[in-house]
Amino acid sequence: MIEFQNVKKSFGDREILKGISFFVSKGEILFILGTSGTGKSVTLKNIVGLLKPSSGNIVVDGEDITQFSEDQLFAIRKKCGMVFQHPALFDSLSVFENVAFGLKRHESLSENEIRDRVHESLELVNISGIDDKLPSEISYGMQKRVSLARTIALRPAVLLFDEPTTGLDPITTNSVNQLIQDLSRKLKTTSLVVSHDMHCALKIADRIIVLDKGQIVDEGSVDEILESQSELVRDFLLEARAGGES
Amino acid sequence: MTYVSHLGLQLVSFFDELGRTVLFLKDILKLGIKLDVSRKSVFEQIWRVTVQSLPTTALAGFFVGAIMAVQFTLQVKEFGALGFLGGLATSGTFREVGPLLIAFMLSGKVGAFTAAELGTMQVTEQIDAIRCLGANPMKEIILPRFIGIVIASFFLLAFGLMLSVGGGVLVGIVFSNISPEEYVRHIPTVVTFPSIAGGLYKCFVFATLLATICTYKGYTTRGGAKGVGRSVVSTSVATMVGIVIADWLTSLTAEAVLMFFIRG
Ligand SMILES: Nc1ncnc2c1ncn2[C@@H]1O[C@H](COP(=O)(O)OP(=O)(O)O)[C@@H](O)[C@H]1O
Ligand SMILES: [Mg+2]
Repeated sequence: MIEFQNVKKSFGDREILKGISFFVSKGEILFILGTSGTGKSVTLKNIVGLLKPSSGNIVVDGEDITQFSEDQLFAIRKKCGMVFQHPALFDSLSVFENVAFGLKRHESLSENEIRDRVHESLELVNISGIDDKLPSEISYGMQKRVSLARTIALRPAVLLFDEPTTGLDPITTNSVNQLIQDLSRKLKTTSLVVSHDMHCALKIADRIIVLDKGQIVDEGSVDEILESQSELVRDFLLEARAGGES
Repeated sequence: MTYVSHLGLQLVSFFDELGRTVLFLKDILKLGIKLDVSRKSVFEQIWRVTVQSLPTTALAGFFVGAIMAVQFTLQVKEFGALGFLGGLATSGTFREVGPLLIAFMLSGKVGAFTAAELGTMQVTEQIDAIRCLGANPMKEIILPRFIGIVIASFFLLAFGLMLSVGGGVLVGIVFSNISPEEYVRHIPTVVTFPSIAGGLYKCFVFATLLATICTYKGYTTRGGAKGVGRSVVSTSVATMVGIVIADWLTSLTAEAVLMFFIRG
C-alpha cells in the first residue's frame, strides 16, 4: 500500500531522515515507534506531500508520489487520511462544519448526504449530539475524536495516525486504541501509527518498526520485538511494562 | 573577524527573508488577481480588523493632529502667521507623521494579532489539516486576511487622518486661541490635492506592507508556542522598520512624480 525507498529528508543542513525504507501492507496496523524528535511526524507528512523527501521515493498504491504536484496530491490526500497529533480543528467552525469541511471539497454530495456522512463518522468515534459546539467548548479527548471523525469522513483507504494517544488519560487512551482497531476492521483501512507508546503498540500492532535518530533500528512482529536485543527497544519495553502495571 | 562574519551572516539571512517575503507577496497577488476568493470571508476580515482597531486609530489620529498643531503654533506664532496654523499642521500630518504614527499603532494591533492567529494555526497543524482536507490555505486563509487587512487598514489610516484635523481644531481653540473657522479656513490653501494624494498613497503602501509581513510571518511560524511568540515579535519589528523605510521611499517617489507631472 505504501512503500518508502531509501527516503532522506533534510531541513537546511540538518538531516532528519537518514535513508529509511519500509512498506505498509494492505489491511495491517503498522506502528512506527520512536522518541520525540526522531522524525516520526516528518515521515507521515512525506506520505501526503505536506513535506517532500530530499531524496528517495515514496510509492502509494502503486504510484510514485515523490514528484507529485499539489493538484496530483489531492487524490492521495483523499486516499490517505491524516490524523494529526494536535486535534487541529478549525476554531471558528462548529463540530459539524469541521467534519463536513473535507467532504465539501473532496466529494460531490448533497446537503443530506453530507449530514448523514458527518453523523455516521461521529458515531464511529462514539460521539453524538454536539454538532453545534465549537472546538473550544469540548474536552481535549473529545476534540481528538472529532478530528478523527473529520478524517474518516472521507473514507480513506489508509489512516495515518500521529501520536494518537499522546496527552490522553489512560482510559481515553484505551478507547482510542480500541477505535483504531475497530476502524481498521469496520472500514477495512490500513493503519500506520507513529507513536512513542510501546504499550499501545504491543496491544494493537500487527508489526512494529523502531525509528531512532532518523534511522530504522529494528523491525518485526510484536513477538519479535519482545525478543529484541536492541537497547532502545529494551528501554521502550521496560517503560511499557512500568506503565502497564501502574 | 568573527564579529564581521557574524554580521555578514545576519545580512545574508535578512536578504533571504526579504526575498522570501517578496515571493510570498507574489504568490498572494497571483491568487488574488483571479478574484477567486470568498467575499464573505473577506468581509469578515474587514469587519474584524475595523472593530478591533477603530478606537486605537481614532485616538492616534486625533492626538497626532493635536501634537502637530501644538508644534506648529510654537513655530508660526513668532511670524504672526497663526492664520495658517490649520493649513500647515494638517499638511504636515497628512504628508508625513500622520500615516507613519497611525500605521505604527495598527502594526501593534492588527499585525501582532494576525501573526499570532496564523502562527497558532500553523503550529497546531490546522494549516496542514486544511491542505489534507483538499483546500488551499493560501486561498482560504491567507488571501481573505491579506485583502481584508489592506482594505481595512487603508480606510482606518484615512479615517485617522480625518480625525487629526479634529485634534488640531481642539488645540487651536484651547492652546492657540483661534476659532475652528479660522483653523480650517486655510486648510484648502495649503493642503492641495497632491498632498492628500500623497498621504493616501502612503496609507496604501503601509497597509500593503503590514498585511504582507504579518501574514507571511504568521504563515511561516515553526516551533510551537515559542515560535508563535517569535513570529509576533518579529512581525512588530519588521513592520516598524519596513514602515519607516517605506515612508522615506514613498516621500521620495511622490516628490519625483510631482516634479515630473506638475512642475514639468
Ligand atoms: N518544517 C520543518 N522545518 C524545519 N525543521 C523541522 C520541520 N518539521 C520538523 N522539523 C524538525 O525535524 C525534527 C523531527 O521532527 P518530528 O518529525 O516532528 O519529530 P517527532 O518524531 O517527535 O514527530 C525536529 O527536530 C524538528 O525540529
Ligand atoms: Mg511528532
